[in-house]
Parts: sequence; structure tokens; C-alpha cells
Amino acid sequence: MPVKKKRYEVDADLNINSMMDMMTIILVFLLKSYSTSDVSIAASDDLQLPTSSAQKAPELAVNLVVTQNQIVVDGVPVVNLTLEPDEDNPGVEMPVVPDDEKRGQSITKLYDRLVEKAQTAKEMAQRSANDEFDFKGRILLQVDRSMPFGVLREVMYTAGQAQFGEFKFVVYKAE
Amino acid sequence: MAVKRRSSKEEPLNLIPVMNLVTILIPFLLMAAEFVSLAVIDSTLPAIGPPQPASEPDPNEEPPLQLSLALMDKGVRIIGADKVLFPDGAPEVAEGEEAPPTIPCNSGAACTSVDDYDWSEMTRLLAKIKDVYPDDENVIVVPGTKIRYEVIVAAMDAAREDRENKGADGKSRVLFPFVVIAGGAM
Repeated sequence: MPVKKKRYEVDADLNINSMMDMMTIILVFLLKSYSTSDVSIAASDDLQLPTSSAQKAPELAVNLVVTQNQIVVDGVPVVNLTLEPDEDNPGVEMPVVPDDEKRGQSITKLYDRLVEKAQTAKEMAQRSANDEFDFKGRILLQVDRSMPFGVLREVMYTAGQAQFGEFKFVVYKAE
Repeated sequence: MAVKRRSSKEEPLNLIPVMNLVTILIPFLLMAAEFVSLAVIDSTLPAIGPPQPASEPDPNEEPPLQLSLALMDKGVRIIGADKVLFPDGAPEVAEGEEAPPTIPCNSGAACTSVDDYDWSEMTRLLAKIKDVYPDDENVIVVPGTKIRYEVIVAAMDAAREDRENKGADGKSRVLFPFVVIAGGAM
């Protein structure tokens, strides 16, 4: 009967050099894409921003998002949009603000929410001695690229009524 | 003299602490990483205020340029600069008919997508207007109700700077960077 070979007991170290190489490359890549931008977007199928050659960096302000389904202010959904068939193009549907959400051109719930935001911003400005926090009526608009101007006009009109007159349209920077 | 002998066996470098550091750094950097870069386009509401007292127009003074871009589904119409664009007089439009676009779509009738609009031609015409009114920087964009948002952004891009004609410093020529979006009644 053959005798089984005895196994050697070897104290082998795990070679982590190659893993270190990989980590170093990842580290450099991540450092390159490091950013301290104030504005973040939650990309989704409903919100595809347009691409533009604009170069101005975004700054912190009230965040108004218009996706294909709803209007969101600072992360809180305010109004749901409905789809209506386009009279000129049969078979095509366009998002619209439902009539019962509007008073004239103004979107009621959005107006109330924005007035609240303006009020809070003004109170904070009063407490702070720093001019930087003064209420300037800035609003960041993240709008889906296929949104018809009809909806955008009502949103802009409502924001204007609520004392937000300085619009900043957020876009993807073209490379 | 006694010579101390060095041990010939090489100790492997202990990389474990470096590994620990890198492993902590990676999740942190992943959180702060930005894979798409964002920019903003400034725009203001049309100013609302008391009507300006009407002053006697100075016959010698050049009337100010009130440049508007009407975005329609058939193309773009440049309003307020007929003197530059049509030195021999603007084409007449029959009463009750919609004025034709100054810059029609590439495909002819109605523009199918944002690239179907002739943005380079619009930039060329705006550069021509800028030659005559070098101090003017405002433009009013008047989109139709069904015009998509990306078309408005593309129009603002085309009106902002002339990227084909770069100055001596390598920067694009600035045309009309201050945009006001007005709600059209079209």
C-alpha cells in the first residue's frame, strides 16, 4: 500500500501587493472626481436634465424639481402632473398641471409651499448678521428636458408670485 | 574587529496599515465623487414695475435694441432686429397669418427634435446683430406653449456665445448672455 505523502505545514503570507496596486489606481480615480458641489441631483428616468454649454457653478438655493410626474420642492412632492393628449399630434401625451391645482396661472399648493420657504429664508436672514444669507429670491430649477413650456411657464409664474425671481436652470455641463 | 553580519533574509514590507487606510478612504471618496458635472443658466423674471415716464424720443438717438427670439415648432423667429437682418425691408406678412420663422427647421416643416433647429445659423445672425449693437447683452426668449425645455436651453446656449469664432484669448465671442424668458401667447 502506498504511503500518503505528508503535507508540509508552510506559513505562507497572503500577497496583497496586487490588491494594493488596484486600490491605488481606484484612489487616484476617485480623487479626480472628488467634488464639493452644493447641489446634488437624484437622476431618474423621470428627470433627465438637458445638456448645455453653460459654465457657471451651481450654488445653494431652494430646489424646485419638475419631473415628468410631479413637482418637488426641496425633496417633498407638492403637485402631481397628469398626462393629456396633444391635440396637434395624435397619440402623443404631454404632462400638464391639473386644472383643480391651479388658480389662474398660479399653482396653488406650489405657491403655498414656496411662500413658506421664502418666509423661513427671511427669518433666517434676520437672525444672521451675514449678508450672505440675505433672501435674494434665488431658486434652482431642475426640469426634465422634455417638459413643455406650458408647465414651465406656470411654475415660473408661481415662483415669481412667491417672490422667487432669480431662476437658475440646472443643466448638465457639456464636456 | 568584530564585524556584525547582516541577516540576509529580507523582511517583506508590511502593507497592512496602508491597506487599512486606503480601504477607509475609498468609501469616503466614493460618496463625494461626482460623475456628472452640473452648471446653471441664470435667468430672471421680466421686471415688473411702475411704467416709466414717457420721455420725448430723441430723433437723433438710436432706438434701443429689443431683441426677442420667438421659438416656434416651425423654427426660430428673431424679432426686433429687422433693420440688420433685412436692410431692404422685412418681408410682408398677410394680415391674419402667422409670420414665417427667420430660421426655419433643417427638415422643412415642423422641427422634430432639438437638433432639427438650425442653431448655428441663429448664432451667425445674432453675431451679425451684435456687430451693429455691441453694447447690448439682453435677449428675450419667447417660447410657444408646446416647446420642449431642451429647445429653450439650446436657444439660450446659441444666443450666449459664438463658439465658432474665438477671440485672441481663445474664448468664445460673447453675444447676448442675459436671458429673460417671457411667457408667449402663442
